[in-house]
Amino acid sequence: MNPRPDWLLSELERRGVSRRDFLGFCGVMASVLALPKSAGAAIAKAIATTEKPTLVWLEFQDCAGNTESFLRAGRPTAADIILDVLSVDYHETIMAAAGKQAEEALHKVLAEKGGQFLAVVEGSIPTGANGAYCTIGGRSALSIAREVCGQAAATIAIGTCAAFGGIPAASPNPTGALSVADAVPGLKNLINLPACPANAENLAALVVYYLTFHRWPALDSYRRPLFAYGKAIHDNCERRAHFDAGQYVELWGDEGHRTGYCLYKMGCKGPVTYQNCPSVGWNGGTNWPIGCGHPCLGCAEPEFWDRMTPFYRHLPNVPGFGLQTSVDRVGLWATAGVAAAFATHGLVQIGKRLARGVPPSEERADSKGGQR
Amino acid sequence: MSQPAAALEVVHAPPFAPGHSNLVRVHVWEWPVRLTHWLNVLALLVLSATGIYLGHPFLVVPGPAGQRFVMGTVRLVHFYSAIVFTLSVLSRIAWMFLGNKYSRWDKFLPVARLRREGLWPTLKFYLFGQRKPPGFVGHNPLAGLAYTLIFALFLLQIATGLALYSASCHLGSPLKIFQFLVPLLGGLQVARLIHHIVMWLLLGFGVHHVYSAVLMSMVEPTATMESIFSGYKFVPEEDLVYSGYRYIDRKTDAGG
Repeated sequence: MNPRPDWLLSELERRGVSRRDFLGFCGVMASVLALPKSAGAAIAKAIATTEKPTLVWLEFQDCAGNTESFLRAGRPTAADIILDVLSVDYHETIMAAAGKQAEEALHKVLAEKGGQFLAVVEGSIPTGANGAYCTIGGRSALSIAREVCGQAAATIAIGTCAAFGGIPAASPNPTGALSVADAVPGLKNLINLPACPANAENLAALVVYYLTFHRWPALDSYRRPLFAYGKAIHDNCERRAHFDAGQYVELWGDEGHRTGYCLYKMGCKGPVTYQNCPSVGWNGGTNWPIGCGHPCLGCAEPEFWDRMTPFYRHLPNVPGFGLQTSVDRVGLWATAGVAAAFATHGLVQIGKRLARGVPPSEERADSKGGQR
Repeated sequence: MSQPAAALEVVHAPPFAPGHSNLVRVHVWEWPVRLTHWLNVLALLVLSATGIYLGHPFLVVPGPAGQRFVMGTVRLVHFYSAIVFTLSVLSRIAWMFLGNKYSRWDKFLPVARLRREGLWPTLKFYLFGQRKPPGFVGHNPLAGLAYTLIFALFLLQIATGLALYSASCHLGSPLKIFQFLVPLLGGLQVARLIHHIVMWLLLGFGVHHVYSAVLMSMVEPTATMESIFSGYKFVPEEDLVYSGYRYIDRKTDAGG
C-alpha cells in the first residue's frame, strides 16, 4: 500500500501519462458525471491526494467480458488510469498469483482491510446444486460472495450478470443463477453497473466520484447510478430525429439503413434501455452500436435476455404461441375471428328470418322482455 | 328496487302479445354516463389507430428529418387521447359512487344476492336456453361483470401506458413519478407487451359490444341501443317493481 499523498502522480509518470493527460481525464470524468467543467480541477485534486483504495475483483459465472472491456481500452483512458492505479489486490483473471498465493492475497485483504476495501463482482452467482456450478478454491461462488461482499465498504456489481442475472439467468436458468442483490441480500452500498459488458468509463467515473466526494452517487430504483443510467438511450440517440420524423430502416442495407435512419422497426430496444452509450460511446468514444447501424439489444436492462429477445423485433414473443409469433399477429387474428363469428351469427339470423318469411318488425314483436 | 308509482310515466300500451304490461320510460343513463361512454369510444378508436402506427410505423416519410414530424405527431395525438381516456375512465369510476342506481358500482360487481342469482338466467338467455331475458333495467348482472373486467383492462392499459410514458417523458415532467410502475409491471418490455395485448382484447370486446347492443336492441323492446344516446329505456312496468325477478326461477319476494 502506498500512503504517500503524491502516489497517483508518480504512478502516472511511471506509466508515461502526462499531467496534461491526467487533467484531461478528470475533465472527461466531470462530464460523464454531469458535473460542471470546473469540477475537473476538484476531481484532480481529490484523486491526487486521496489514499489509494484497495479493490477486490470477484469473477463468477460470466465470460470475463467486463474485465475485457477495460483491459482492451485503446489508449490510456479512464479505465486504465484509475483502475490500474487502484490497488487491485485480487483479480482472478489478471493477477499473476495463482492457487494458494491468490487465496492468501484475498485473505490478507479481508484481514487487514475489512470494511474499507471495494468489492467488484463480475458474473452471476449460481445457487443450484448447492452452488456446485461455480467454485473457486473449493468454495462456492455464493459463500465467497457472502464473505467478501459482506466485509466490503461497498460492492459494485459490474455487468448485467452480476447486476440482474443476465444471460446465465435466462430461461430456463439451469444453474439457478442470481444477481448479487438477490444472492446476497442486505448488502450495504451495493451499486449495479449493468450492460453487457459494462462501460469501463462508467466504472471509472463511479470510483472517481467516490474518491472525490467520499460518498456514492444517486441511484435509481434498480440501484444504478443516475449519471450513467438516468436517461433512455432513445432520448439521447443521434438518430432520434429520424424516429420523430417517421423514417425507419425497413431492411438491412436498404436506402434508409445506408442513410442512417432510425432502427426502431429493426427491433431497437433504445426506448426501453437506460444507459449513457449515446453520449459516452465505446472504445474510447470511437463509436457505439446504433452509431454503426445496429439496433440496441437492451443489454443493460433487468429484462435482458429473456424479454429483450428476439433482438430484431419490437416486442417479446408471446409464450405458448411458437417462437416467431408476435402478440400483434395473434391479436389481429383473434379480433378478426371474433368479428367473423359475429358476422356469421348475424347472417344466420337474417337467413332464418328470410326462410320463414317473417318481416323483422313482426319478429321483434314476437319476443318480449327485459333488458340487456 | 321499487319506484314510487308517481315517477312512472306510462308511454303506451305495447303492441306485443296480449297480457303484457305497459312500457315505462325510465331515465337510466345520466349524462355523465353517456358522455364518458362516448369519450371512451372516441379515445379508444384514436388510441388504437395511433397505437397500431406506434407499434408498426408503416408510413414512408421522405424528405429531411428536421422538417418532418409524423411519428412525433402520432405520439402527440396518442398522448392527448390517453389524457382524455384516463380522465374519462376515472370520472366514470367516480360516478359509480355518485350517480343513480343504474350507474353504481354494485351494478358492476355482483355482490348483492339478486345480482349473483341473476347471472345464470342471463347466461342461459344468451345461450338460447331461456326465451326471455331476466328483466334487469340497467346492466344485467352478467354484462355488469363483463364491464368490471373491461374496467380492469382500462386501468391496466392506463397503468402500462403511464409506465411507458414515464420512460420517455422529459426529466421535469410530473408524470415521471409513474416510473414506480415499471418494476411492478415486470419491466418496460413486459409493460409494452401487456399494452399491445390489452389493445387487442379491447378491440375484440368492441366488436362483441356493438354487435350485441344492436342485436339486443332488435330482440328486446327496450330501446337499448337508443338509450346510450338518449339516456332513456322503455321497460315493462313490472321490471321496475320486481327488478330482475320476473324470469329468475325462484320465489317472488319483491324488494331489493
